[in-house]
Amino acid sequence: MTEPSVDYSAAGVPVREDLRRTHLAMLEYLRQPGCWFTGAERLAIAAESRNALACPLCLERRASLSPEHPKGDHARVSKLPEALVEIAHRLRLDPQRLSRGWFERVQTAGLEEGPYVELIGIAAFTAGIDFFCRSLGIEPFPLPAPVPGEPSHHRPQNARTGSAWVSMLAPEDATGPEADLYQGAGFVPNIARALSLVPDHVRVLQLESASHYVAMPDIPNPLIRRSLDRLQMELVAARVSALNECFY
Amino acid sequence: MLLRASSQATRTAVDLAAVNGELSGHGGIAHAAELVAFVEAVAGRDDARLSGARQALRAVLTPDQFVDACAVIGAFSVVDRIADATGIPLDEPMAALTGDLRDELDLARFRSSANSRGL
Repeated sequence: MTEPSVDYSAAGVPVREDLRRTHLAMLEYLRQPGCWFTGAERLAIAAESRNALACPLCLERRASLSPEHPKGDHARVSKLPEALVEIAHRLRLDPQRLSRGWFERVQTAGLEEGPYVELIGIAAFTAGIDFFCRSLGIEPFPLPAPVPGEPSHHRPQNARTGSAWVSMLAPEDATGPEADLYQGAGFVPNIARALSLVPDHVRVLQLESASHYVAMPDIPNPLIRRSLDRLQMELVAARVSALNECFY
Repeated sequence: MLLRASSQATRTAVDLAAVNGELSGHGGIAHAAELVAFVEAVAGRDDARLSGARQALRAVLTPDQFVDACAVIGAFSVVDRIADATGIPLDEPMAALTGDLRDELDLARFRSSANSRGL
């Protein structure tokens, strides 16, 4: 079995230990059975996220006026259903043109919101660690071997529809297995709630935020910083989001 | 998008147009030009340009600072995708902190602003 591994040596700079721990934890998480997908399916989603960059259909669509034309088949590296490949590729290469109408068509086609949230979290986490590697100047980390097992089919009982496309678990409704989910934080951004149909996604996102940016409860405090000062961090963050045409 | 809040907290005047890639000088932020050029190169597909931008950034930052910049790029590559795919609205406290800036930079032109109508 291929265990998760990370190697930053080609970068020629020391990488913080908390980042190393986070990347290993994310790779370990991706290979585990989740709520709706097996470990093998989750790694296939991660592989498809990467493969979008070499998918001729996606590259052609990205350059076209409509994100859903031309029609055609995706270049694929997995046996995932076409609908899942479509979402993983779109999220990697053309996320700024996702729309509520597109999401509703995904639902109508039969993908329920729990598996949808699990898929987008996996694809987004993969994009995050890959962009870190690309920035640093190293190859993407190899995907590990999957851990056998079946998905749990767990859905937080108190998740409700509301202001987002997907149902979310509000902090006041986080009880039982989700009692720890928001860590008693006063400020729980919607970005954390967005993934709450898959509670472990939220936990991984919190870990990722704390090592890559700042801990979620500290986000509104403009004085929290790292080696880069906060102005520099926010400039990088804002420019990334502007290039992604992300309003949030 | 806490650029303005950070500038106010540190009493630093910054050129917010840098967010849209319209930077003149350093914009009040140390090594802003190198940071912006690096982010743009990472988002692009020209590896030679990225290599040059990385070299230029590493020349002005400490190794720890460079790694921090890479980490923030990774973090927002995650956040933006989750936000775009779930249709979450802007958080109300953040909307209050950043409303003027969003208007000034015309960020409502982004398709995902539809998820935050009314804020």
